[in-house]
Amino acid sequence: MLNFVVRRLLAILPVLLAVSLLTFLIASLLPGDLAYVILGDQATPENVAALRRDMGLDQPLWWRYLSWLGHVLQGDLGRSFRTGQTVLQAVAERIPVSLELMLMAEFIGLLIGVPVAIACAARAGGAFDRFMTGSAFAMLSMPSFLVAILLIYLFAVELHWLPATGYVPFTEAPLANLRFFVLPALTLALAEWPGIMRVLRSDMIATLQEDYIALAKAKGLKPARILFVHALKPSSLTLVTVTGINIGRLLGGTLIVESIFALPGIGRLLVGAIYTRDLVILQGVVLLVACGFVIVNFIVDMLYAVLDPRIRHGHA
Amino acid sequence: MTNTAAAARKHAPIFLVAAFALLPLAGPVQAQKPGGSITVGQELEITGFDPLKVGVYDTSTFTAAAAIFDTLTTLDDKGEAAPKLAVSWTHSDDYMSWTFKLRQGVTFHDGTPFNAQAFKENFDRQKDPANKCRCAFYITNVKEVLAPDEHTIVYNLAAPSVNLPAVITIQSQNNAVHSPTAWKTKGDDYNRNPVGTGPYILKSWTAGDRMVLEKNPNYWDKGRPYLDRVILKPLPDAQSRFASLQSGEADIIWDDENDADNIMKAQKDPKLTVHSYKGSGAAVYAFNTKVAPFDDVRVRQALVMAVDRPKMSQAISNGLSRPATNPYGDGSWVKCKDDGALPFDVEKAKALIKDYGKPVEFKMLVTATPRGRMIGQVLQQFWKRAGANMEIEQVDQATIPPRAFMRQFQLVPWRIVDLADPDPQMYANFRSGSPLALANFTDPELDRLLDHSRVTADLGQRTEDYCAISRLINKEAIWFWTFQNTYYALSSAKLKGFPKIYNGVIDVSNTWLE
Repeated sequence: MLNFVVRRLLAILPVLLAVSLLTFLIASLLPGDLAYVILGDQATPENVAALRRDMGLDQPLWWRYLSWLGHVLQGDLGRSFRTGQTVLQAVAERIPVSLELMLMAEFIGLLIGVPVAIACAARAGGAFDRFMTGSAFAMLSMPSFLVAILLIYLFAVELHWLPATGYVPFTEAPLANLRFFVLPALTLALAEWPGIMRVLRSDMIATLQEDYIALAKAKGLKPARILFVHALKPSSLTLVTVTGINIGRLLGGTLIVESIFALPGIGRLLVGAIYTRDLVILQGVVLLVACGFVIVNFIVDMLYAVLDPRIRHGHA
Repeated sequence: MTNTAAAARKHAPIFLVAAFALLPLAGPVQAQKPGGSITVGQELEITGFDPLKVGVYDTSTFTAAAAIFDTLTTLDDKGEAAPKLAVSWTHSDDYMSWTFKLRQGVTFHDGTPFNAQAFKENFDRQKDPANKCRCAFYITNVKEVLAPDEHTIVYNLAAPSVNLPAVITIQSQNNAVHSPTAWKTKGDDYNRNPVGTGPYILKSWTAGDRMVLEKNPNYWDKGRPYLDRVILKPLPDAQSRFASLQSGEADIIWDDENDADNIMKAQKDPKLTVHSYKGSGAAVYAFNTKVAPFDDVRVRQALVMAVDRPKMSQAISNGLSRPATNPYGDGSWVKCKDDGALPFDVEKAKALIKDYGKPVEFKMLVTATPRGRMIGQVLQQFWKRAGANMEIEQVDQATIPPRAFMRQFQLVPWRIVDLADPDPQMYANFRSGSPLALANFTDPELDRLLDHSRVTADLGQRTEDYCAISRLINKEAIWFWTFQNTYYALSSAKLKGFPKIYNGVIDVSNTWLE
């Protein structure tokens, strides 16, 4: 097992290195010179040259990458030239919001997806199954910015049940905090449950063909007991993986959803950094997020190995 | 004696009324109700307040700065300079030097006394070349600020400014007065912990979420401010910002013409108020008159005459954009009987291009945003009809200023912002030799008029100068103007006392809830 963990960890290193290189290149190759952005209407050629010298922008790209990487390895991701905050400070302030949003979205997604999947699998091909599979498809094809605005219009403007925008920290007012998260989390979850539902549904249909299910039926067990106790657990292995991988997709979703609902999370930080050309924040946050994603996948791999011994011995 | 006293007593109410009328910012008589709290929905996230760090304030920062800081002067409802931290001012005959008497007994939120020395330290910090502040660009015209005694400051200028007190009213990186003690003791942290003399004190600030401002109990203007608390929130998405106003989570929100649908919706909603201010200035375009085909006045005139502004307004903002025929606009005190605007006339435009004889082909710089592209395409269609071929060159917003400075363009979009006096921008944009005189156009009469108007006090005379300038520019068609600046804020109908949106700044520091 230890051997397996070490092997997987070593495999992550080149991935992280590639991530750092890509992050740096994307940020550096964006059109528009950073010196012009900072100087704005006083971007005279002399001022630009002086600022580029100050910021090291006149150095070759590979040199800038290596020196940035050197600082990153020492834990110094840099400081925003706009706010003066360090990347770590900015991320530490915002990460709880995004984590809460993603957890709630995943939770609501499971809350909708799992029961629907079970109900569909129980009568595969039936009217309910066909209807839900169709609506899942429809939900998947609705962009989240549209869903968000529709939800705001219905629940905030018309019904006044939930706030349209805003945030309070959980530690300050737990209940109010949850109220602010309902609509954004629901927006993400509505795009999330179809995936969950389809994966679990097909696994479940496969499981229900197994002999031991037939045996359970023959023994006269109640259908509900068969579905929830005997069939659900062996069918949820793929679900674990999908849930893990979904974190990455959800992170992408937060970019839009946090902007619409004005949640102060990582997504907003990133969008703001793009608009203001805050390359230090942009590079730092993308790198941290990518590392986070790689680590989550690593954990999922480990979890999988724990659940299924065949994987850790390398012959799955 | 007795008679006089009786007479005085009899007239006392009249004097009182007169005294109230003289109070700065006193609007029409309305019952200002103290207490309560409002939430302001802003477009952008505020990055900070230290001029050395942020360089230039954006519209969202202006709103916060108007509450936390004071400026020397402010603009009254008529657009004229009124006292704030300065109580009175005088100028030298040549307008090269202005002396301000400062208000006494004012302290910053941290207890530091506000005086001439504190003001001078603010200025020197921005001007110091060692600090390399972006903000220094906007005070190049001020040579030095002197503090001859505790309550007097003197601006010594590099070039005359006839209307300086009105020009320094914006709550900008240059004009907001910070506590010197605060920036010295807080260092890097000062940027996000600003300390001013203003009506509100920064209570807390959660990055990306909210800034809470609380009433300054020791504000020098007794009885003000009215609200106990102002909360500023960045709501970047226009749709959800408007939804937050409708649902009551925000009391006032920033908006602009791009969001024409919601502005129109708010106009029909009795629970909401649409505040709009027709500012001075305009969205403008400069031809590079040193390169073909724009070295020929016929081509420039033809293109200007081919632009159908009302139709363009329909296309880009549902008709909200107000056509401009001169660089001053309805918000300016410059009103021209004849500004020399060329008429919209496609046939004439075609004839001029035919007369020119060669094919008219050129590139126009356009910002790579949906709005930039849309404007480019509309103009392209207008000019095609007149027989000219325009190619759109999309560039990043940040690339436009350097391209303009280096004159690497044929046609470039620009903006004249809302300012209390036309001189700073007109002089920079049209005086030959100025780095911003983008058209590369020299005309001795234009220079003479610009030089004259900046040292003339009489507004009638200056108006004549500026109208002559407009006629000259319109006739030569070196620049053209499409739409005037209109600024918007949408609020709950309960919010009262909201002033004009000068320079696009949403200043809620004087408002109250009904």
